[in-house]
Amino acid sequence: MREGAFVTGKAMICSIGETPGEIVEAVRRRRIKLEHLPFTLAGLSYTRPYYLIMRNEGDRPENRSEGYFTEILFSTVARAIADAGLSNDEIGETHLFFGSTSMDVPVFEGGHHNSSAAVSEIFLRSSNGYGKIASAVMERFGIGGCSYTFTTACTSSANAFLYAASMIGQGRIGRALVIGYDLFNNLGFYGFEGLKSLASSTYRPFDRQRDGLILGEACGAVVLEGKRREAGDFRFLGGANLCDIYSVTSHDEEGTAIAETMNRALRQTGIDPGAIRAVKAHATGTENNDRTECAAMRLTFRGNIPPVTSVKPFIGHTAGACGVCELILFTESLKAGFIPSTPGFREMDEELNLTPLTENGKAGEGVFMLNYFGFGGNCTTLILSNEGGKG
Amino acid sequence: MSRLYIHSASAFIGEANADINLLKEELRRYARENFRRVNRFILLALLGARKCIHGQVLDADTAIYLTTEHGNLGDTAAVLDEIYGAHSLPKPFSFINTMSNTAAFYIAQNLSARGRNITVSSQRLSFERGIDLLTVDFAAGVERSALIGGVDMASLSGAGGEDRDSRGWRMVDGSGWFYIRPEREDACGVFRGNRSFRDGATCLQWIRKRGELPADMVAFGASIGDDEADRWREALHPAAGFDYLGDYGYSGSAAACGIGMFVKNFQGRTLLHINRDPRGNYVLLEVEVF
Repeated sequence: MREGAFVTGKAMICSIGETPGEIVEAVRRRRIKLEHLPFTLAGLSYTRPYYLIMRNEGDRPENRSEGYFTEILFSTVARAIADAGLSNDEIGETHLFFGSTSMDVPVFEGGHHNSSAAVSEIFLRSSNGYGKIASAVMERFGIGGCSYTFTTACTSSANAFLYAASMIGQGRIGRALVIGYDLFNNLGFYGFEGLKSLASSTYRPFDRQRDGLILGEACGAVVLEGKRREAGDFRFLGGANLCDIYSVTSHDEEGTAIAETMNRALRQTGIDPGAIRAVKAHATGTENNDRTECAAMRLTFRGNIPPVTSVKPFIGHTAGACGVCELILFTESLKAGFIPSTPGFREMDEELNLTPLTENGKAGEGVFMLNYFGFGGNCTTLILSNEGGKG
Repeated sequence: MSRLYIHSASAFIGEANADINLLKEELRRYARENFRRVNRFILLALLGARKCIHGQVLDADTAIYLTTEHGNLGDTAAVLDEIYGAHSLPKPFSFINTMSNTAAFYIAQNLSARGRNITVSSQRLSFERGIDLLTVDFAAGVERSALIGGVDMASLSGAGGEDRDSRGWRMVDGSGWFYIRPEREDACGVFRGNRSFRDGATCLQWIRKRGELPADMVAFGASIGDDEADRWREALHPAAGFDYLGDYGYSGSAAACGIGMFVKNFQGRTLLHINRDPRGNYVLLEVEVF
């Protein structure tokens, strides 16, 4: 009998490490690595912070070639598969769920960053469609199932996870590999600056002085299966996705649609809001997101909002990859015994009336809510639990 | 299992690189609103979706599933030009429109459809994979009303700017949509099945095990070459074929458009649509028109 969907393997690379252990230790000790990147192509004289993967000089954006991007992707997938202990036969029966905002843009930029006027023409001729990266992963690892590439802005890999877990829960598939993949690209970096959404120095979600988001890059992969392999494996209990039709760029500040997403996820799992042990907020640090998200949490949890944290100050806003990457960072921290704090928060915004965890909280068994929102009104809530895994 | 009953269908097929004002004019036949800050991809999505639900009242919880091979790459290319060619920051709405789910958002906003909003792709099988997701949501009971469609622009469908692809199909803009509910009442058709197979042999074996061809017409997706299509015809002996690629042209979303055309034009018939991805995974999509 199926018990749901369990996270049985995971791997991730981001600015603070390339193994879950390394990443969790950095989170526990609040070690953050920020680079400051210029807008050289636009001839601007200032820089903006960015959470860059910087293992060596070859990782600098200007030194990246096309091969760099597949190395990051394939090595992450290989480690997730190894972590789950999948046999070749099991890999062959796996289905792939891929989520990204930038898709192959970083790869293209890596190969053509010295091009200029004809760049769009080269891009259009070289792009083979959104499904190409997922197909390359399947080819490389001998993954024989179906492949789904989600592109729903910053909820992309959260939705990939939602559908993978739902299909396992319904018994349609036995195993899934879910990937969140967004690496540095000028299109995103310059694009968010064009929106005036980038913070100038420090990431401060929910803080009175918050001044925007800081982008980051990451690749995360999880293996989902119908049975728990180890006692600590997290179980997906349910989730929801809805569209907030208020605006393509921002959410309704009353928080109604976001609250409805959380409520539907709770109803699907049959769990009372009071049973949520902690919330991993989306918390981009932008004026609209944080206000909307707080309003929604007040609607959902009434006067009893559980401990809230934002993990973006550790790894940045990793766009479409944040679904899987923040899930790994959050659940691995819980496994290590703590709920991550929100570095950068100093002063409560009275309008928000919310203070996120400023010190690591004590974790135990419980039910946890993870929220993700994106452009195009996309709202996704995932509910996971580590209860019942012992003994 | 919940059945996916088709309550209406549409297929908009447009000339490659046609004047965008012609698309706006066509859209005005189905929607009175003025759409600002939208590009060709979004207009195509709106046009197909509005044409599909024309005259019907949607539930507020209706979900939108947009499937696409190439998405909104036109804006992505334009923004890359702004950065690399014009050496400037991208214009805000050009940047936002690089995210293809904005098209699904504009449909949802225009139709006040507050259900799930998913944009999904899968090399050569995007529409079929979208049907998979819809099936999961209907089975779970989280959705009871949905619009699913495929949208792709001719210029991004892989022909490198030529007006015909290497197999001689005319390159077109395509937007094919279906309004789906789990009830049979008032439906005009049904997606009877959407089965995936690891290879063609397993797929053929499954058809043979059923004893008879599960449809009276057969159509092939763009990945099935002419020789392979001949082999399938020889093996299956269908009563008739439906060559939507030859008849209507090719876009990345040709399957959605072709099946939309079938629903509109072949009352009382059943279709077996055979398609595969570059790795040789096959999908059989069965459609019945009442």
